Amino acid sequence: MDEPLLQLRSISKNFGSVQALRDLSLEVPRGSLIVLLGPAGAGKTTTLRIVAGLEAPTSGEVWVEGQNFTKLQPNRRDIAMIFDNLALYPNKTGYENVASPLKLARMPKAEIAKRVDEIAGLLKIGHILDRLPATFSGGERQRVALGRAMVREPRFYLLDEPLSSLDFMLRIELRTELKRLQRELGRTFVFATPDYTEALALADTVCVLLEGEVRQIAKAQELYDEPADRDVARFVGNPKINIVPGRLARENGTARLSIGSMNLPLPDRMEHGLPAHLSEVEVGLRPEHVRIVPSTATETHRTGIVNDLEPLGMHTTVGIDLAGINLALTVAGVQEFNDGDRVEVHLDTETLLFFDPISGRRVGN
Amino acid sequence: MGARKFGPGSAIGLAFGLLFAVFPLFWMVSTSFKPSNEWVTTPPVWVSENGTVTNYLVILWPSVLLEQRGGLGQYTEEGEVTAQRATESDAVSGAVADFLTKSAWQSIRGSIIISVLSTMLSIVVGFMAAIAIARYRFGGNVTPFFILSGRMFPPIAIAIPFVVMFSAPGIEATDSYWGLILAYAAVTVPFSTWMLKSFIDELPQEIEEAAMMDGMSRWEAHIKVTVPLIKGGLIATSLFIFILNWSEFLFALVLTYTNVETIPVKLSKYFSATSGQQYGIQAALACVSIVPLVIVGFFIQRHLVRGLTLGAIKR
Repeated sequence: MDEPLLQLRSISKNFGSVQALRDLSLEVPRGSLIVLLGPAGAGKTTTLRIVAGLEAPTSGEVWVEGQNFTKLQPNRRDIAMIFDNLALYPNKTGYENVASPLKLARMPKAEIAKRVDEIAGLLKIGHILDRLPATFSGGERQRVALGRAMVREPRFYLLDEPLSSLDFMLRIELRTELKRLQRELGRTFVFATPDYTEALALADTVCVLLEGEVRQIAKAQELYDEPADRDVARFVGNPKINIVPGRLARENGTARLSIGSMNLPLPDRMEHGLPAHLSEVEVGLRPEHVRIVPSTATETHRTGIVNDLEPLGMHTTVGIDLAGINLALTVAGVQEFNDGDRVEVHLDTETLLFFDPISGRRVGN
Repeated sequence: MGARKFGPGSAIGLAFGLLFAVFPLFWMVSTSFKPSNEWVTTPPVWVSENGTVTNYLVILWPSVLLEQRGGLGQYTEEGEVTAQRATESDAVSGAVADFLTKSAWQSIRGSIIISVLSTMLSIVVGFMAAIAIARYRFGGNVTPFFILSGRMFPPIAIAIPFVVMFSAPGIEATDSYWGLILAYAAVTVPFSTWMLKSFIDELPQEIEEAAMMDGMSRWEAHIKVTVPLIKGGLIATSLFIFILNWSEFLFALVLTYTNVETIPVKLSKYFSATSGQQYGIQAALACVSIVPLVIVGFFIQRHLVRGLTLGAIKR
C-alpha cells in the first residue's frame, strides 16, 4: 500500500485579503503520526479544518485513499477530529459524549455499550461516564474528547493542540499515552502543536508551518540538526539557536570564517558544501555546540565574558559576550559562574549551520 | 461581603418607584370591577364598594348578563346575541350599541391564533437566518445590519405598503388570519434573528462541528445540537416576540376589518365616538388579555437560564 492515506495538493486558503495557507502540499502515510508544528497563526488549525471539510480551500485538493475529498461534506469523510477547545456536548453525559458517533452510525445499543466500555477502560474514564462535562477536570475533559474520537475507527484522526491547556505534568503523561495508543491501535494521527518538544517527542515526521507555508517536512532529529532555514532553526530548540553574522574568506583552497573579531578555519568538508559566490553568511550555533573549556587556548578558543545565567537544574543557560557578539550556551548541571567572569569558549566548527542572509535558506551540507 | 445598607432614603425611593409602576395596573384592575357610574368621578373611587363582574360578563359571557335581565332575545351558542338591544336599566347604560352585546371572544381567539402562529413562524425563520449569519457569515456585514432596516421607519410607513400589497388582486390577504400572521412574522423576524444570533454566537462553533465530524449533516447538527443548547434563548426570544405580537395594534387595525379581530383592536372599540367611553369594559378586557402572558411567563421562567454550555470547552 504505497499510496498515502491523506494527500494535500497545493492547498491555498484566503480569508478575505489574508492568505492563511500558501501552496501547502503534504502526504500522510497510513499508520503514521505526523505533527504540524508552528506558532499561533501559522495555519495549523486551518489546515486541519480543510482536511476535516469544515473549511473549503481557496485552491488545491484534498485526497484521501485515492479519492478526491475536496468537496465532500464533513460527515461523509469518516475522519475524527479533536478540537483545540475539545467541544464536548455540554448537555450530555460522558457516556453519551463518547457514544455519540456510534449512535449516529446506528450501531446496536449492546455493541455501543461494549465499545464505550473498552475505550473508557483504556482512557481510565469509567468513573465519570454518568456525569456531565461541567463536573470534569481538565484532564478528564481531555480524555472524554479523546474517547469520543477513539471509540470509532475512522480513516484517521486530526488533533488540534489537544494538550495545550493542560498543566505540564499531565500534558507529558497524556502525550505518552497518546503515542502508545497510536502505536498499539495502528492508527494514523495528524497532530497540530505549537510546542516543538511535543512535536519532537511524538512525531514520526514533523511538518513545520510558518506564515501559512510548509517550510520543512522531516524526521524529528533531522529538523533539529538540519533545519531548512533560519526561521525553522529559530523555532526548534530551547535555548534558541544563536544566529550571528559572519564572513567567509577563501585563500588557497582553505576557507576561514570571521565572526566579529574571531577568525576560524573551516573544515574542508564544510567549505566544499558552501556556494562559492557567498561571502556574507549567517552562522547558526546551537547552544550545546558552544563549550566552556579550560584556558589552554588554541585557534578556536576565545575569551568571553559571562553576562547572563539561568540555572535550570539539569543544565544552566549561560549568556556570553564573545568579542562583541552575544551567545547563549548550555552547560551541564549548575556551575559556578558569576556575571562578569572571563571564560574560555570553544566553538564546534563541525556543527556550524550556515544561512543565506538574504533568503534565509540553509546552505552547505 | 457586607450587604449594602438599606436606609430610609432607599426605602422611600423604592416605594415611589413601585407606586409608579404598579398604580396603572391597580387602576386597571380596580376599574374593571366598578359599575359604570363609578368609572369617572370626582373624587375618584379607589376601590368600589359596589364591586361587580358585569364588565367581565359583557366581554366574556353576555348571555349570562342577558339571562339575568329576563332572558331577552335569542343568542347563538357562541354567546353572540342576535337582534337584541340592551335596555335602559343596564349597568352599562346609555348609548349601548349593538356591539356591546357582542362578546370579546372573537378578538381573544384572533389574538391567540395570530400571536402563536406568527411567533412560531418568526422563530423558525429567525433561527435559520441567525444560523446563516452567525455560522456561514451569510451576507457579510451587510445583511445582518440591513435586516434591521424594516425597524428603522415608523411602523405606519410599513403598514401602508402592506395594505396595498395585501389588497392586490389574487392576494387578498387583508382581514385574514394568514395575512396578519405573515405581516407580524415579517416585522418581528429582525428581532428574532438578532436575539437568536447573539445566543448562537455565544455557543462555540466547534460543538456543532464536532457533531458533524461525529457523522451529523449540517442540518442535523444545527437542529439536534444547536437547538437544545440555545433552548433558553429560544424560549426567551419566543416570549419576547409573542409579547410584541400580542400587543400589536397598528397593523391589526389597518389590515383587518370584520372577519379578524385582535384584542388591542377590540380594546380600542370600547372608546370611540359611537360606543362612548366604556372604561370598565375596556379595563376588564385588558385584565383578561394579560392573563395568558402571566401564565406563560410563570411556567417558562425556569427555562430562562444561562450557562448551558458549561463544561463544553476548556478555558
